[in-house]
Amino acid sequence: MSTPKRQLDELLAHPSLWRGRSRAAIATVSTGYPALDAGLPGGGWPRHGLIEILTPHPGVGELYLLLPALAALSRAAPARWCTWVSPPHEPYAPALAAHGVAMDRMLMVRTHLPLWAQEQALKSGACEAALAWLPRASPKAIRRLQLAAEQGRSLGVLYRSLRFADVPSPAMLRLVLEPRTAANTHGARITLLKRRGGSREPIDLDWARAA
Amino acid sequence: MHPRSMRLIIEADRPVERVPSVLRVRPAPPPPTGPGSQAALALEPRELWIAAHVPGLPLAALHVAERSVPLVVVDAEDRNQRVVAADARARAAGVRVGMTLGAALAAVPDIDPQPRHTARELVLMQQLAGIAATFTPLVSLEPPDGLVLEIKPSINLFGGLRELCRRLRDACLAHPVFATGECTPHFTLAPTALAALAAARAGARCFITDPKVLPARLKPLPIGVLRWPEEENARLAAMGVHTLGELMRLPRAGFARRFGPAQLADLDRLLGRRADPKRRIAMRERYRGSLDLDHEIHEHDRLLRALEPLLAELEEFLRARQRGITSLRCRFRHYRAEPTVCILRLAQPESDATRLGSLLRERLATIALPEPVRRCELVSGALTERPVASRALWAPGEHGSAPAGEMPALVEHLRARLGAAAVYGVECVAEHRPERAWRKKGTEGWGRALDEARSLLPAKRTKEERAHPPVPFSRPLWLLHQPEALTVHRGRPHYDGALELLVGPERIESGWWDGGDVQRDYYVARTSTGARLWIYRECTGVRAWFLHGLFG
Repeated sequence: MSTPKRQLDELLAHPSLWRGRSRAAIATVSTGYPALDAGLPGGGWPRHGLIEILTPHPGVGELYLLLPALAALSRAAPARWCTWVSPPHEPYAPALAAHGVAMDRMLMVRTHLPLWAQEQALKSGACEAALAWLPRASPKAIRRLQLAAEQGRSLGVLYRSLRFADVPSPAMLRLVLEPRTAANTHGARITLLKRRGGSREPIDLDWARAA
Repeated sequence: MHPRSMRLIIEADRPVERVPSVLRVRPAPPPPTGPGSQAALALEPRELWIAAHVPGLPLAALHVAERSVPLVVVDAEDRNQRVVAADARARAAGVRVGMTLGAALAAVPDIDPQPRHTARELVLMQQLAGIAATFTPLVSLEPPDGLVLEIKPSINLFGGLRELCRRLRDACLAHPVFATGECTPHFTLAPTALAALAAARAGARCFITDPKVLPARLKPLPIGVLRWPEEENARLAAMGVHTLGELMRLPRAGFARRFGPAQLADLDRLLGRRADPKRRIAMRERYRGSLDLDHEIHEHDRLLRALEPLLAELEEFLRARQRGITSLRCRFRHYRAEPTVCILRLAQPESDATRLGSLLRERLATIALPEPVRRCELVSGALTERPVASRALWAPGEHGSAPAGEMPALVEHLRARLGAAAVYGVECVAEHRPERAWRKKGTEGWGRALDEARSLLPAKRTKEERAHPPVPFSRPLWLLHQPEALTVHRGRPHYDGALELLVGPERIESGWWDGGDVQRDYYVARTSTGARLWIYRECTGVRAWFLHGLFG
């Protein structure tokens, strides 16, 4: 009786296998927000793979969400690079530097071919993280990006509009980011749409309380 | 010690007694012996120089193939119109180099005098130097008709000294100018550049690797090989000094006094007692290749495949020179339309055909060909030093490694397709005006320097950052390209509804001196949906409200 059970356990513990409620063993980097870390599978952003952040519009805290991780990744040794593919506005260097991001590791790409540029950045293996703002992307294209991220061992972040929340996507982690409307808070509410394990409850974050 | 050199010292010592002490101190460390004596014996064969001398270079440079009359080359600059070169028939008829044209015409009336073409001579010597440069990086021209190359470090690579000399000789003789056999370069080998050159000019057989035998072997050469001024040679001849051996026997101090320190220094260089640094020639060469296509090609993929042999040739060309290129120009010729030009620029020197091919593919994808291509031409930019990098032990990304080459590779790849301006870095500027507190930064030479300096160390905060740590939430993460005017209702700025001002005002007033005058009151505002904005109100004029940034 014990032998098949153990075999089954070994099989279930395989990192590439995940079940709805189990937490897959994946390499992660802390988000910098303890509440979010607790809710995410593996306790942080995945180191390799594609995540999708859906926002109603730019300026709701989509960068604050990522900043502590970005700062940690860019200051790690030896740091790889971080690309920003077609961001909606100019990333403001002094503010990013104030949050601890090493600006000389950031590379901006302005292009009308964001999908192609993002795939190149992820695939090259030169980037720790590749952020992209995509106006539209088919599930097939996102699948390509997911594969590229695994190939280049990079963290791919796609910023998309909340409109696409109902469209299925092959990204390994999808979350919705909405600003908290209550007065005197500067934070957001995170809802995980898709994750490999982890919590289903919405998570409230306060940007100023990054660890 | 050799009894003969003993005798030399004794002979040399006597006249030294008579020179004033001022002159005696000048020739420094070696003891005051004759200008050429056994001091060279202590020298190790640290260097080995090959000299190539082209006798009759003015003749060779003229490229006159068939001629019926004896040919002489005359220096047009010279008032006396001296003959600088004469072919075999003219020499057989009695014409000698150095004669005036009048004398030559008197000896042989039907000669064909040609003006000297110094520019072509230089080109020919540079071509020879280019051939020599495939054997060693240290090649130096000795104008007008010689060149020297240091080959000691290349001996093993080319399978021994004799093999190297044979290959160098064969490579030089393969030059079309020497096909007629009228004049051939003369090669010599010696431990010093000047000795090799002197022997080559004299046309002597010289294959010396041992510095000890150098003085003895140089003795029979005429003093003319040093190319000193005519009057010096005449004075020496009047003293009965005709060969280098006789020259070396002269007392050192007296020689310096009579002929000057420059000539003494020449003798020291000849024997290796004095360093003789040579100026390395800078190769200003480019790769040029062209290919006539068998049939016209319209598809990019097939065009790239057709270009492969040219790229392979380019790689071979670059590898032989240990160089890389940072720009490559392709021209595609069509039947009627203007040629299509495609220029590839690289962030760091590259020589790999596959890499160049893949970059060219990206570049070509942005170019539409008006007509099928009939002919391709490839011209490289200037060759640059290509730092030879070790291969990384880990694959990119494995074990958290960041191979130095990866970022430039990605940058080049993106720039090849999207254009140079599409890819940039950003940096902070110490400046109060928000729009000037950051700037774009090009990516040239960027990845390499950074990776070398930083990749193994965590990025450090700059001195300024440490002195004035910026407050994290005082500035927005997004800055708008252009401030966006806000509507105002009942005195309150609106953006998706009325804005609630949270922090402010923060007055920024700066730049009246450089034309970018700014007087603004900045506020952090909150929209009804909870987003935070960075807005400002002009302190002058109509005091309008603008949106300048988002706290993303």
